Amino acid sequence: MDAFLTSRIMSDVLGGLTNGMIYGLVALSLVLIWRSAGILNFAAGAMPMVATYVGMVIFVSTLGYWPSVVIAIITGLTIGALTERVVVRRLYGKPPINPVVVMVGILIVLEGVAAAIWSTVPRGIPNPFSPIDWQLAGKPIALSSFSLYEIVTALVVMSAVAALFRFTKLGLQLRASALAPEVSRLLGVRVGRMLTLGWALSTGVGTITTVLVASNFFTGLTPQVMDGIFAFGFIAAAVGGLESPVGAIVSGVALGIVLQFVGDYINSNAIILVALVILVVSLMVRPNGIFTRNSARRV
Amino acid sequence: MRTLAPRSRIAVAALTLVVVFVSSILAAPTTRNGVVLGLALDGALASLSVLSSRDLRKRRPTLARALGSVVVVDVALGATFFFSANTNYNLAIGAAMAIVLLGLSFLTGISGQISLGNSAFMGVGALAVAIWANHHASTPLVVTLLIAVACGAVAGLLLGLPAARLRGPYLAGMTLAFAVAFTAIVNSFTSWTGGDAGLQLPNAVTAPRWMATLFDSQSSPLALNSAWLADVTIVAAGVSFFLMANLIHSRAGRAMRLLRDNDVAAEIVGVSLARSRVLAFVVSSAYAALGGGLWTLINNSVSPPAYSFALSITILSLVVIGGIGTVSGALLGGVIYAYSASVISWITTQTGLNPQGNLASQLNGIIFGALLVLVMLFAPLGIVGLIRRLHRRLASKLPG
Repeated sequence: MDAFLTSRIMSDVLGGLTNGMIYGLVALSLVLIWRSAGILNFAAGAMPMVATYVGMVIFVSTLGYWPSVVIAIITGLTIGALTERVVVRRLYGKPPINPVVVMVGILIVLEGVAAAIWSTVPRGIPNPFSPIDWQLAGKPIALSSFSLYEIVTALVVMSAVAALFRFTKLGLQLRASALAPEVSRLLGVRVGRMLTLGWALSTGVGTITTVLVASNFFTGLTPQVMDGIFAFGFIAAAVGGLESPVGAIVSGVALGIVLQFVGDYINSNAIILVALVILVVSLMVRPNGIFTRNSARRV
Repeated sequence: MRTLAPRSRIAVAALTLVVVFVSSILAAPTTRNGVVLGLALDGALASLSVLSSRDLRKRRPTLARALGSVVVVDVALGATFFFSANTNYNLAIGAAMAIVLLGLSFLTGISGQISLGNSAFMGVGALAVAIWANHHASTPLVVTLLIAVACGAVAGLLLGLPAARLRGPYLAGMTLAFAVAFTAIVNSFTSWTGGDAGLQLPNAVTAPRWMATLFDSQSSPLALNSAWLADVTIVAAGVSFFLMANLIHSRAGRAMRLLRDNDVAAEIVGVSLARSRVLAFVVSSAYAALGGGLWTLINNSVSPPAYSFALSITILSLVVIGGIGTVSGALLGGVIYAYSASVISWITTQTGLNPQGNLASQLNGIIFGALLVLVMLFAPLGIVGLIRRLHRRLASKLPG
């Protein structure tokens, strides 16, 4: 048993699981906005990145880790809501290219501004969890208290979002306004407010993800910390289907594990290549994702 | 030839005056240059006078477009004789960029698709030229460039086949993944591509003999080099723009626009959605590859890290700022690109920013990103759209 737990295969699975949880969270934040607004948020990494800088760089030395995390999340919710109110609201009903271009613009501006204020030097964020792998009979398993913290937090966030949508009245309103905005409006749901809430929620989830990524001793916080992770999160969301939160999380975790094996057994350059091949193949086979039912399309 | 409209006559007269004035203050460096220049400008003038008959534009649009391209190319070629090596370099870089912009502008504006991967297609072309030149150094320039175009088209086809089934955001995400993966692809085939360090061309690109004889042998090698490279780039841009203008107005182009505006109607009248989309994607990739290949010639080397996702964003910004789907917008974007670095350094010195500081180094991204958002929100057709709006307002105010 010990030999199995410390084996190369098992350590790839565990390491991949930790990464996959992060990809799943990014995919979830993309799905939350896609479902409510029909927009793919290319700034889904950059908006939380700014929130994380505000919380974890400005306040962490005076307030400590946990209060700073709370401040980061609140900032993230605010940034999400403000973006929807000020910018995105003008884009509903426009050709689908317009929101893509605008969100890419916001991505570039936010990364530029963050680098101008805080520079591109990575910042370590002191946190209570050790990044050193646990030992079992003198051999390391690919788990540390930090990676356990990542996995548990991801699971908590995912269940919280699921519970919100399934068991609360607010969740019902959110689902209704995404599915049938006109009918919901007639029934008294404030659809505009639900859209704002959807963006806030998504950026909140993104902020928790970014805090997890940036707290990692080996990564640190940089303005572009989420760029690569966004690409993998998008691939996970697209493979799972942008409509399906469950699909996003499952394919995120699966992608994380597969890519860990690729990186271990082939080389690190192959990771993004294999991810691209997975994306292209899965989009050719099922353009709407694995986990969504095929909806009728006009042509 | 028909009689000229009054306005055109004034334009021709003004141009002739400018030419005479310029030629008189700038004594031609050699007689041969003078002859070439004179011929070029004569061609431009003749074409312009024929072109300005409105009848021609209606009856023979292709001829009119060809003459239009000849005029612009001729004037630009003439100008390279007078410009400094530095200006010619900027001109060449900008003209090559204009080709790339035209490809994306066509893909987005006419076919209604979006690509965030054009930097990678540029990289494909740039590497193709460098790799080919390292193995077959004596290949004629045109052939090498056509090989780059073919490589870009094949890469575009590979990525375009799944893209044909994808709607806006999926396609954008997939091309983004390609742009991000490009560096990894380059690093996976280091023996061919040279990895991050890139490739040098085996020896400095030399002008074909017939071309070299047109230039003054007394000039410094750099000036000589950059002038003829700028000329090659300008001619390539002229050909690309001419072909694109025709494609946009051809049957295939009309089909694409119909598809963009109403896909159901397009399918009913027999337009193939998949074929049309893939064609647009392949054309756009081929244009990007041509631009990248020209960059390799101009710089005499290729550095793959330059073709990163950030360049894709710059390309997208320039297309949006110039005016999506317009030929003149792409040209404008190329000019803006050629001078953006100097404008930004001018802003830095004017505002007294520390050039090595954080803000100064990020200024490029911040300005382009902000313009991208503002233009898309408030003037979706960019500068060309603004000019058209202004023109229409003036036209409606003037009597007659």
